Amino acid sequence: MMAAVAGLGAAIGALGRYETTRWVQRVYGNHWPLATLLINWLGSGLLGGLTGWQLAHPLTVLLGAGILGGFTTFSTFSHEVVMLADQRRFGAVIGYLLLSVVGGLLLAAGGLWWGLHFR
Amino acid sequence: MAKIVAIVVCAFIGGGSRYLIGAVLPVTAGFPWATIVVNLLGSGLLAWLSHAETVTDKWPNALTVGLGVGGLGAFTTFSTFSLDTVRLLTQQDWLLAGAYLATTLIGGLGLSWLGFWSARRWFSFPVVEEA
Repeated sequence: MMAAVAGLGAAIGALGRYETTRWVQRVYGNHWPLATLLINWLGSGLLGGLTGWQLAHPLTVLLGAGILGGFTTFSTFSHEVVMLADQRRFGAVIGYLLLSVVGGLLLAAGGLWWGLHFR
Repeated sequence: MAKIVAIVVCAFIGGGSRYLIGAVLPVTAGFPWATIVVNLLGSGLLAWLSHAETVTDKWPNALTVGLGVGGLGAFTTFSTFSLDTVRLLTQQDWLLAGAYLATTLIGGLGLSWLGFWSARRWFSFPVVEEA
């Protein structure tokens, strides 16, 4: 039952990611994976806040594992890194990797702190 | 519209599967195995799917987009990866946090590269020589 709740949230999250990616690529272009970076940053920060709030279990599954889990993506991130490396754009590889991982960690930690203090 | 439907259906299955794997695989000694499994497996499969032209050419484009963006995109997750790492760091489990980061990144990128390479090697159309 909870898997269906997570699946429902993931469907909403994935659709949000698809539309966000299309919008960012229309405005910014697709020479650098800005869309996935922004999506993963936003999702990491929000999941931190959500975890800090400690809501009821079904709501956490829907919003956290579901919507935010489906909104953010690791597979597209790693595929984009491999594509940049294949194009021998090693500066972009390092920049995208560091911004994604370090930025995601800082935003998740900041979100968690914020969630624990303002609930 | 077909793409939207495909993404929604595949993401429902992908996200639901991620939840089920999380429920089945226990967190042994604080190590989030489930997130590692979905992120590594999903990375390899997405890269393969994105380059396996001779396979994806046989079915509608909406299915490829649905499986990739929806299914594998929602199966894997970056937000849980970030939060898992923060949790290990706040527990001052430096070794475990480092091992989790390294396993996910090296494994995910490695499998992604392997998926890309094998699809290019065995599932891409031959390059037509210019006359």
